[in-house]
Amino acid sequence: MDLSQYLEIFIDETTEHLQTLNEQVLVLEEEPDNIDTINEIFRAAHSLKGMAGTMGFKRMQRLTHDMENVFSEIRNNKMKVTPDLVDVVFKCLDAIEEYLTCIKETSDEGENDNDEIISVLNACLGAADEGGAVAPEQKEAEVKESEMVQETTESDAGADNDKKKYLSIEIADFEKNAITEAKAKDMNVYGVTVYIDDNCILKAARAFLVFKGLEEMGEIIKAVPSVQDIEDERFDLDFSLLIVSSKSLEEVKKVIANVSEIKEVLIEDYSIADDAKIVSSAPDSDKTETKNMDSKKEDSGKAATANKAGGKVGKPVANRSVRVDIDKLDVLMNLVSELIIAKNGLVSVSNQEDGKTSMQNFNEQIEYLERITTNLHESVMKVRMVPIESVVNRFPRMIRDLSKKLGKEMELFMTGEDTELDRTVIDEIGDPLMHMLRNSADHGLEPTIERLKLGKPKVGTIRLNAYQDGNNVTIEVEDDGAGIDVEKVKATAIKKGHITEEQAEQLSEKEAVELLFKPAFSTAEKISDVSGRGVGLDVVKSKIEGLGGDVEVTTKLGEGTKFIIRLPLTLAIIQALMVEVRNEKYAIPLNSIVTIEDVLVSDIKFVQQKEVINLRGTVIPIVRLDEMLDCPPREDEPENLVVVIIKKGDKQTGLVIDNLLGQQEIVIKPLGKYINIHRMISGATILGDGEVALIIDSNSFV
Amino acid sequence: MEENTLISEAKQYIVVKLDDEQYGIDISFVDNIVRVQPVTRVPKAQSFFEGVINLRGEIIPVMNLRLKFGLQPKENTNVTRIIIIKPENNAKIGILVDEVREVVTLEEEDVEKVVHDEHVVNLLGVGKYRDTLISLLNIQGIISEMDNA
Repeated sequence: MDLSQYLEIFIDETTEHLQTLNEQVLVLEEEPDNIDTINEIFRAAHSLKGMAGTMGFKRMQRLTHDMENVFSEIRNNKMKVTPDLVDVVFKCLDAIEEYLTCIKETSDEGENDNDEIISVLNACLGAADEGGAVAPEQKEAEVKESEMVQETTESDAGADNDKKKYLSIEIADFEKNAITEAKAKDMNVYGVTVYIDDNCILKAARAFLVFKGLEEMGEIIKAVPSVQDIEDERFDLDFSLLIVSSKSLEEVKKVIANVSEIKEVLIEDYSIADDAKIVSSAPDSDKTETKNMDSKKEDSGKAATANKAGGKVGKPVANRSVRVDIDKLDVLMNLVSELIIAKNGLVSVSNQEDGKTSMQNFNEQIEYLERITTNLHESVMKVRMVPIESVVNRFPRMIRDLSKKLGKEMELFMTGEDTELDRTVIDEIGDPLMHMLRNSADHGLEPTIERLKLGKPKVGTIRLNAYQDGNNVTIEVEDDGAGIDVEKVKATAIKKGHITEEQAEQLSEKEAVELLFKPAFSTAEKISDVSGRGVGLDVVKSKIEGLGGDVEVTTKLGEGTKFIIRLPLTLAIIQALMVEVRNEKYAIPLNSIVTIEDVLVSDIKFVQQKEVINLRGTVIPIVRLDEMLDCPPREDEPENLVVVIIKKGDKQTGLVIDNLLGQQEIVIKPLGKYINIHRMISGATILGDGEVALIIDSNSFV
Repeated sequence: MEENTLISEAKQYIVVKLDDEQYGIDISFVDNIVRVQPVTRVPKAQSFFEGVINLRGEIIPVMNLRLKFGLQPKENTNVTRIIIIKPENNAKIGILVDEVREVVTLEEEDVEKVVHDEHVVNLLGVGKYRDTLISLLNIQGIISEMDNA
């Protein structure tokens, strides 16, 4: 069966479940007894297992299966949540994520078996065994094949004793221990073989009911085939198990017999002295290993042939889908139908003969059309909007890991996760944000000891606040750490040759902090694998600017640092001011414009040979757009200049233009490949008459 | 190797004129031929670029082949054309030429390869057609040079 069509859904859903798991396990770490959380984790792990199984990702399935086992034990109060266990679970999640990445890239889960994690997981289960009596099912799954063979040969004999298949269950050392222990506690150990009716259709369901009933009676030590196989209906008509119970043999038998379509139940007191083959763990594990290798070979062989057959070896799965609220789609649908009505209206107007009324109707229809297109645009934009949550929700986990790795205690507080941004922005913003958080954790926050010495709270705080601010979305990353030492920054900048000493002296604090965004700049003396390699803030800055946003830093020595990222709400369509420079039209994004001023040429002053104007007490540098754009010079300088004041952060610049044309909604288009584009041009747009106008990137002038 | 495969069989070329010289453009690269339309100048772009045009909602940079080849600029006439070329799947570029003449088919033996050195990356070879010579343009060469222009 070709499952590739489900791959995208699988990837989406797995990502979602992983996210839930990460979040819930974090909660669990705080509140190890929270039963809701445990249930949630169990459910997510179970769904993951099921999905991986359906898609045929065996390794992933195995790992999730073991994880599920652990949580099933926890859920049944057989195990306690320990910090170690949480660590293992996190490792597990990372491993699953690795599988997922692999699947995304190649449509295959890869070759990593993650045996280490699985064995640790089982060790956790094993540790629990000492208290209760739980068998790690993984082992069983591995040995089951040989047992199956035995079973079939034995059942051929047909003798009564041979029907008691539980006698032939292989038990390992620790299972033996569990049995002995149970006996010592005056518990009964029964061997059970259940035969299901030949006509039964839902074998797995019947078996499940048997197990469910038995779980209430006592502990199932071992089942052959394994519970997993039984659930997946990989068994013939019978299965055997060992159960420890305080109930009497009759009671147990009754529970099983109560399940319909059960043909026969053989149950007996079980003792190890019986015929049962006791396998010491050493040869057992040997066997397992070889078997593992075999199955691995087989698996990869299968995978290879399957791949060949499908002809899609290593085909990456592009995940470009957006989940859309059905309501939003309904609104779109409505608008489209209105659009059609409007079009019909226009047609009927054009068919009218009377010129005067038709002109009036025509204008009405145009207005109607305009209203619809505006709404349509808005709705489509809304469809593209994704809450920032999908990016930031992995950060708590990251901070937790960082906290452990760096040995610093820290906490992350997030607000405004529901702030929405355009999908394209969301996709790009994750890495820069992660970088800034790492920065805060590593460079920003002081080591715990130092914090105590300074009289600060022991636990460092990192805040991530997102909120909408007009046509922008602002994201702040704030820490209450040491702040940026401006002198140190200057010293580093001089050392690296970014600035000279004289320049350093003239720099304001703010300008000095800006130096952090220079390439290969790190003030951390110690290079850790978290940060400090000098690739960082410059990349962050260029990425955010590439998205049409900007970054700003404010810092107070000893009190903390705050990075402020401003991003445009959407990329594709913006409000712009159309201006004219000579006979060329340019668009300036409206969100960066503060005011438009009429300035007398005689009011222009010079500071350091640069033109400035004094606007209501603020000195603002001005830029002659015509010179920047290589336009032919004006023949005679007029007395008045039109100056558009733009801002970036709290810095302002005036752009001198020739004429104002008005405000317009423009669609941003790329300028195409091959042509070199100066950074002051951010794109182009097509005007109503088909003419192309370039869009000025106002950020590059400030 | 690649050049061999490029001209190993009969190929069709669009013949364009710059002054009195004839150039051939492999027809498989050509997406469209359009009349001259208003071009928006792009400041600070390479000097041989006229600017960008709007081709049915798509913005396409237009290169002036005259300027690219170091010829003097010339007023557009009513035979001036922009040839829209699609060197890659997702990118187009327009080439402004004086005139588009015809489409010719050249057999492999009609084409004389030129030795490539850094000065002649723009040409693929010279084709003989009837009694005229056609310089065959190396599209990849023309556009690849732009990265460092």
